[in-house]
Amino acid sequence: MTMIGLTVNARPVEASVEPRTHLADFLRDNLDLTGTHLGCEHGVCGACTLLIDGMPARSCITYAVACDGAKVTTIEGLDDDEITAELRAAFTREHALQCGYCTPGMLISARDLVLRLAEPDERSVRAGLSGNLCRCTGYVGIVRAVRAVIEQRRRRGIAPVAGGGRQTLGPVGSGNATNSAQPDGARGTTAKPEAPQPMSGASAIPDFTPAKTFGETFTVPYPPDKVFDMLGDVRQVAACLPGASLTDMPTPERVEGAIRVKLGPISADFRGAARIERDVDTLSGRIVGIGSDQRSRSSTQGEIRYRLVPSEQGAATRVELSIGYSLKGMLAQIARDGLVRDLAARLTADFARNLDRHLSGDQTAVITEGRQELNGMTMLIDILRKRVSTAIRRFLAR
Amino acid sequence: MKAAAFAYERPTDLSATLALMARANGTAKLIAGGQSLGPMLNLRLVEPDLIIDISGLSELKWADRRGDELVIGACVTHGDIEDGRIPDVTRGAMQRVAGAIAYRAVRNRGTIGGSLSHADPAADWVSALSALRAQVALRSAAGARDLPVERFVTGALESALRPGEIVEAVRVPAMAASARWGYVKACRKIGEFAHAIAAVLIDPEQATARVVIGAVEAAPIVLADAAALFGGRITGDFERQFDARVADAILTKAGLANAADRHIHVAVLRRAIGEAASA
Repeated sequence: MTMIGLTVNARPVEASVEPRTHLADFLRDNLDLTGTHLGCEHGVCGACTLLIDGMPARSCITYAVACDGAKVTTIEGLDDDEITAELRAAFTREHALQCGYCTPGMLISARDLVLRLAEPDERSVRAGLSGNLCRCTGYVGIVRAVRAVIEQRRRRGIAPVAGGGRQTLGPVGSGNATNSAQPDGARGTTAKPEAPQPMSGASAIPDFTPAKTFGETFTVPYPPDKVFDMLGDVRQVAACLPGASLTDMPTPERVEGAIRVKLGPISADFRGAARIERDVDTLSGRIVGIGSDQRSRSSTQGEIRYRLVPSEQGAATRVELSIGYSLKGMLAQIARDGLVRDLAARLTADFARNLDRHLSGDQTAVITEGRQELNGMTMLIDILRKRVSTAIRRFLAR
Repeated sequence: MKAAAFAYERPTDLSATLALMARANGTAKLIAGGQSLGPMLNLRLVEPDLIIDISGLSELKWADRRGDELVIGACVTHGDIEDGRIPDVTRGAMQRVAGAIAYRAVRNRGTIGGSLSHADPAADWVSALSALRAQVALRSAAGARDLPVERFVTGALESALRPGEIVEAVRVPAMAASARWGYVKACRKIGEFAHAIAAVLIDPEQATARVVIGAVEAAPIVLADAAALFGGRITGDFERQFDARVADAILTKAGLANAADRHIHVAVLRRAIGEAASA
């Protein structure tokens, strides 16, 4: 818990908050200011928009601790605000609300437009309201109301205010604190991952039809039969896969293990099992795996098919991979195919480099991050999974 | 939709921040405006032990013209640039890019340094600043270094930042009077992440063209010398000389297997070139 002081609707407030508490929760739960609504809670819908230091901001992705010393104005604080009063009248006249859920955030954004826009042109108003979702009105009445208020005020000779009147640089709400954060009492919080649960060793690994597939290839300067042997040694393959570890290998056709995949700030630990199939006649193979990441409550099925093609008169081998996966759970909602591909390409490059070193007998140079015991194609699968998890959709990349 | 618990520190200056980062064991994350990290925390995609809030550091909230370049502190917001609260050396190019990032309420907190550090391929600054030949100034307890933006972003959500290192500032060179700028992105909805971005900086007098194709789900494609897109030579007639087949081949080579995706990227590039031609 951390002590903060804020000015909320012109009233000084002091409180002890958990750092993870976002501003909207703080206002609603601690101060009973429930006019600030929560919709998506990740910065997309705009329902929680309020004023921080006089400027619109998302209160669901702004933590209360980060606003120490700031001036916060919620919809409740705008009862006597001239622009908001005019907007309320216009919203009523134009039927600019129905259920009312988006209205507090909509009014805050509308007020900002009325303040700043020189002309009530429809395109600017619509663009300016694009960060506030309304599921009832179709926006027509809202746009009409906002344009009317801008038009009336400019006709009355009230000039627009450039930049909303802000003079200082940096995130609104920042820089008001007089000292560094003082955790009161024991240091916050150590949220840390639960012990991972092993997959049941007996569970069957089903075939599946991947939702997404893509290909990768790389070439190593060794003959196909040597590469094929190497790929049959699960331990060695695992050692070539950054982040992968084997926990068990009950039969040569089955491996159990885990892989940690990292994409930017996101990391996922997928634990699972894989089935290995190999065909020496065609120098090809297939690994089918299932796994889950506890933290994100996401699960995945993955499949890697590989085929070894001789090149340079058999002195080198082109490894052709076909990677397929399906993802369920929270990560699936945000996964973007392209991010998975990009990650897969980088992991494949690492794997190819390590494989090359292994085949050349250089056991020291294998790059890995952290644990690795035995692992093989599982690793590949795991990698897949990881990628999948990593395929976090671009969050607001702002 | 509630973040997992984390400890919170708000250092009072940059050296304290760097010391804190050097001490942290790797599960610390910096937060500036929090407009990318906040959603990830709320969705529990990221669960750091410690959040270090740098949004209050005045050393990161300034901008100044120095010789032929503009130096922008990492915690300057998109809104600061949109509203003209900092000087401009790009003849309005950065202001227009800033004003179209996400939504106003996001721009009022989201920062230029934070956006680059996050390295989302679909983010505007990643592509726009690469096209403008900007550099990032990085600092850690061990020292400082500079990198061109296109070498700073190494992949989707991956940057060249080392552990304990922070983006301190962005340095943007002044745009020549003869240079033409075009920036276009394709979004299904205003403010959403782009599905395609094109940024072009073409100077017919110098016969140079720099083209960036972004939002390709990886680090942007930077063509430092894009003459091949214009029949091998940059002239005043560059819009008519643009060869979409060359652009398509470049995208194919970069791994964009989907023809519809390539089509969108090429169309967006064509529009950006058209914008530059009419600038």
